Amino acid sequence: MAGSALRRLMAEYKQLTLNPPEGIIAGPTNEENFFEWEALITGPEGTCFEGGVFPAKLTFPPDYPLSPPKMQFTCDIFHPNIYSDGRVCISILHAPGDDPMGYESSAERWSPVQSVEKILLSVVSMLAEPNDESGANVDAAKMWREDRSEFNKIAETLVRRTLGIPLRPYRAVMANRDQS
Amino acid sequence: MGDEGETMTNNVSENSEPTANQDELILAQQRQIEKEISDNIPLVGELDSVISLNKEYSTDDIYLEKIKDLASKYSYVRRTRPDGNCFFRAFSYAILEKLLCDKDSFIKFYKIAENSKNVLVELGFQQFTVEDFYDTYMEVLKRLKDIENIGEAKKELHNVFNDQGYSDYMVVYLRLLTSAQLQKEHDFYSCFIEGDRTVADFCHQEVEPMYKESDHIHIMAACSALNTGVRVLYMDRGTGNNVTKHDLPEGCSPTVHLLYRPGHYDILYP
Repeated sequence: MAGSALRRLMAEYKQLTLNPPEGIIAGPTNEENFFEWEALITGPEGTCFEGGVFPAKLTFPPDYPLSPPKMQFTCDIFHPNIYSDGRVCISILHAPGDDPMGYESSAERWSPVQSVEKILLSVVSMLAEPNDESGANVDAAKMWREDRSEFNKIAETLVRRTLGIPLRPYRAVMANRDQS
Repeated sequence: MGDEGETMTNNVSENSEPTANQDELILAQQRQIEKEISDNIPLVGELDSVISLNKEYSTDDIYLEKIKDLASKYSYVRRTRPDGNCFFRAFSYAILEKLLCDKDSFIKFYKIAENSKNVLVELGFQQFTVEDFYDTYMEVLKRLKDIENIGEAKKELHNVFNDQGYSDYMVVYLRLLTSAQLQKEHDFYSCFIEGDRTVADFCHQEVEPMYKESDHIHIMAACSALNTGVRVLYMDRGTGNNVTKHDLPEGCSPTVHLLYRPGHYDILYP
């Protein structure tokens, strides 16, 4: 039985390699340790995160898939459902009963027949449609609600940073003008 | 007092920090309570006399009366760990224990189980998510089937159900079979689901996840999935001196007898 988590993770890795969902790459950081994965998530089209490639790590518990993994972005990201240290806070990463986050009862929860793929797809929808009710990052939730254009500007900066592209010149000019 | 004041301020400033938030403290406490339960109560216990329940209610006359009534109908109780999986664990243990004494029924049960993975996949479960649970379930059934001596087979059953890895995988698989049964007969079961949740939603939230407690609807579907009947004896602080019995499905001749106390199931023996 000790090998069952490993066996499942290997099956999931194979599945993700054979049928990768669009815009997502994921797999073990190194093949010696299947309990630590890296994922690259492309910002969904038509959203303020479009074009960005966001790296994250997934950490699996020894009793996976009875318990869910943890997920943390390893780049700078500003989003209502992501803590400022990158930890992702969505319902599918929690078993029902772990309710202090105040998720809606209808939200998708972790169960042993969920999968890494389902988690990553949920994260993509979370990027596209933040849930400002359960604020892991209160500042981001507030800005998402009250000042969308500022939120979009920050997102754009982060997208460019993940791609290693410097800020657009005109924004640098604006920034200088504000200072003077 | 000075120290307390300081802690208070720390807490306040920590609340605005992402690292130590209240939600996580609550979860940590919940984990601690769960650990205490799992350290002290086996997944499935040894046989105990029904009268031994008295110890848990020494000052509660209503319960003591009801235990007296229960003891007139049953001699033994086998306790299970109260971890939210107790119905599924008790039910599958009890039914397998019963089947060990009836080789023909066991073989029939085994044959239905063998084909059950296909049923799950046809219903839309992803093969790689059900495979390991199915394999473990079949491995356990095969192991029990191959032991000739009933006493030894019962000992093996007890060991398997107290090995956390195997025991939990047996629970998961019965949860999946129950979910499949609910979804197969969704027209019927949808009448029992409150709110505007679909049967599939209900299964994803209340049946498939580990540690979710079971209700009437879980029991009905589990019985139907394994083609058997169960008698549940309800014991609570309600009026009357007697425990109340319920057969599921109604009118069946039950193979498994369970004791229900609010929030928990144990196994009963004549």
